[in-house]
Order: sequence, then C-alpha cells, then structure tokens
Amino acid sequence: MDKMMFLLSEGVKNLWRHKLTAFTAIFSTFLTLSVAGSLMIVGQNTNKVIEYLRGKYKIEVFFNENVPDKQIATVVEEFNKINGVRSTTLISRSDAGKIFKSQFGENILDIVGYNPLPVSCVVNVVTFQNDKMNVMPIVERIKSFPEVDEVLYQGRLIYRIETYYQKFVQVMTALLILVLVITVLIISNTVRLTIFAKHELIQALQLIGATRSFVKAPFVIEGVLHGLIGATLAAILLIAGVEVGSDLLYSVSKFKIQYSPFVLFGILSSLSIVISFLGSSRAISRFLK
Amino acid sequence: MIRLDNASYTYAKGSGVSNVNITFGDDEFAFIIGPTGSGKTTLLRMIYMDLMPQVGKVVVDKYDSSKIKPRKIPYLRRKIGMVFQNYHLLEDRNLFDNIALSLHVIGFSKNEIIDRVTESLEEVGLGGKEDRYPEELSGGEQQRACVARALVKEPDIILADEPTGNLDPVTSFELIKLFEEVNREGTAVIMASHDYNLIKGRGHRIVEIQDGTVRQS
Repeated sequence: MDKMMFLLSEGVKNLWRHKLTAFTAIFSTFLTLSVAGSLMIVGQNTNKVIEYLRGKYKIEVFFNENVPDKQIATVVEEFNKINGVRSTTLISRSDAGKIFKSQFGENILDIVGYNPLPVSCVVNVVTFQNDKMNVMPIVERIKSFPEVDEVLYQGRLIYRIETYYQKFVQVMTALLILVLVITVLIISNTVRLTIFAKHELIQALQLIGATRSFVKAPFVIEGVLHGLIGATLAAILLIAGVEVGSDLLYSVSKFKIQYSPFVLFGILSSLSIVISFLGSSRAISRFLK
Repeated sequence: MIRLDNASYTYAKGSGVSNVNITFGDDEFAFIIGPTGSGKTTLLRMIYMDLMPQVGKVVVDKYDSSKIKPRKIPYLRRKIGMVFQNYHLLEDRNLFDNIALSLHVIGFSKNEIIDRVTESLEEVGLGGKEDRYPEELSGGEQQRACVARALVKEPDIILADEPTGNLDPVTSFELIKLFEEVNREGTAVIMASHDYNLIKGRGHRIVEIQDGTVRQS
C-alpha cells in the first residue's frame, strides 16, 4: 500500500519537478483533444443536419385519373412496405383543392368549374441511415405500379447532399484518426524528453534494485496525469465554446447544437487515459530496453 | 559469497577484464587496486550484474550470471549497497528522500522508512541534515550520504567504486574507517581505488588489477 502511494505521489510530484515538459505535454494534449472533441461535436451535429434534410426529402406520386380511391389506398399501403420509406400521406382530390386554395388564395371550382387535380401521395424517406441514401430504387419501385401516372422528386439535390455528406464523414474520420495518432506521438515524445532528463534517477533506481514496473510506474502515472489535465482543459474550452456558439446559432438559424457535456468529458478523459498510457508506456519501455 | 570463475568482459573499444578467478567471503574487507582504466569498475559492474561476463560466470549468493533471468537482477541488487565516486545523489530531492528511495523500492512501510533513514544518517554522522539538498552538502558529506543510502537497506555486500576519488585525504581516511565499522558488523566490503597510500597497512586483502588481469596479494 505504502509502495503504491509512493509511486502515485512520485507521479504527481514529477508534474511539478518537470514543469516545462509537463506544460508542453498538457498544452499539446489540450490542443489535440480540443480538435478531436470539436470534430466529434461537428460529426454528431452533422448527423442531425443530414437527418433534418432527409426529413425534407419528398417524393410526390400522382395517380392516373381513372383509378378508384380504394385501389389507390391499397397501392399507398404497398408504398409503405418499400425499403427506405418512412411514411406516406395520401392527398385526395378535395385535399388537393384545399392545398390549391391555401397556396393561390382561390377555389379551383370557381376557376374551372370542376376539380381537375389528381389524387396524389407524398412519400417520406427514412432519416437515419449511416451510408449514402439513394432514393432511385424507391422511385423505380413506385413507378412500377400501373396506377401511378407521374413521380416528382428532387433527385439531383438529394444526390448532391448525400455525396457531400459522405465525403464529409470520410474526411472527419480521417482527421480524427490523424489527431489521435499525433496525440500519442506527442505524449510519447514528451515523456521521452522527461526520461532523458531523468536518466540519473532511472539509473539510480536500477542500481538500488528497482524492478522494471517500479521504474516505469511514475512515468506512466505522470503521462496519464498530463493527458487527464489536457482533456479536462479541452472539455472546459469546448463546453464553453459550444454553449456560446449554440446560443448564437440558435438566434440565427433556430438550430441548437446537440451534445452532452458529461458524455463529451467522459469521452475526452477516457481517450486521454488510453492514449497517454500508450504514449508513456511506449516511451519508457523503449528507454529501458 | 562472491565468486568470479574465469570471468571476462571486453568492451567494443577493447579494454575490460579477462579470465578473472577470485572469491570474496561473506564478511571480508577487500581492496581492489589498480590504475585508472585497469578494469576495477568493470569487475564491480560484473558483480552487481550491470555487465554480464561474456566468458565464465559470476556467482553472488544464489544468483548465477550464467543462469539468472533479467527480471531477477533487481533482487540481487537489493542485497548490495553501492557507493560511487560521483555520489549519484538525486539533486531534486533532499537527503531523506534520496536515502529513503532504496527502501521504497523494496517496499518498506512509511514508519519503517522514517526509523531506518534517521538511524542510517546518524550512523554516518549526518543526523539532523535530512532536509538538506545534495548541493547544500560538502563532498565528504555527500559521500557519507551515499554510504547511508547503501547501508539503509542493511545489505550483505558494499561495493565502493573509487569512493574517495573526490575527497581530501582526511575525509578519505574517515570514510574508510566508516567502511571498517560496517564490515565489523558483518557486511562484506569491496572497495576499488587507485590510491595505494590510502589502503596500505590496514590489514585487509588487496587485489591488484592491471590491464584487465587480476593479481592477488
């Protein structure tokens, strides 16, 4: 127990003894984890944006004039079974008339004497999907029904949005991996600098009979502390930034940034523990070889 | 008991020791004498297994260099107290912490560490200087602190490599007297030195080493 306490206190004291390297390591970890955290928040909120946009994707289906309402209702039921369809809304002739009046301010019956508007249906697609959404198979399937006269959809726009979204996700993932690798290397190299500065201590410990794990422990604890402090500072910066940014964004676009401060802190601190443990273990193990 | 059987070690640059056959008893006091570069340090480093003989072997107690696993070497070193010419005290911690380090490594409790370190500092005449940092001590005091660090774990063997190299003659004689006291209490002492005048006439065994070859007296 006393030995554990000693190793722990050595790790903490080392932070003070190696002030400059500690500052460098903490600052580097803070910077890289701030970038990583920002990427995570942006990634999470981009998902919300794409889900919002997908909610706006609309496929409008117009039916042939001579098809009875009952048959149209059966066809719409079939539409609901198509893979990728979230919901359908049947628009009867009278509904179409009401929509016409709300949009143009005049009654269609007063203009042409009868209601020429066809029965139609709005098909909404699913909003949550990790990979690129392609509405073409849905459109093709709808077109295959003989009762369908015409299908209108925003094909080119949907294709562009989905393509850009996929590219964005790929770039974000690559950036996140790059940032994490850089963090491991920074921590590893900073601990190596500390080790070179403390080679006398390591030599003395080895001469008085310290085992490898006893020599390693304070450096690993010190590395993990660098990571945790860096992660805490990064979390504070990001939470403050998101709170301010979210209010500003909401006042402009009514879009609220989605995130949980606890989850963000949890992810950043866990990430920092793992990467700083890997970085410092790697550095001291290489030195002790 | 320490035994070197036909032990040889040659550095890349060429120097080292060759075919060393020598035994030291459990409570022996022995000097290893020879000029700078003759192989004294190499001999001591082989005993605490910092260097492994390329030919032959070194046996210290139950630890045999030809069979020992690297992870067992720390346990051998816990039985050996080492004193160096350049002290090897850690500048960033005070005397108490420097000496206590040996006991933390072994796993002593906090109270035992306080008792032993205090006792050990009293023994070498540094009582009351626990809070001093190495730079606040004279050369002689620093060397006595090294002896305290070696003694605090009550080792079976003290290996001293040119411990008087940076000390004036009076302080050097005091240090040797201190080693003799330690030896009287049953600890084997092996001390390397290049200064024959310092060790002659003290009644201890002298092992002479020249160009890596041992000649016993």
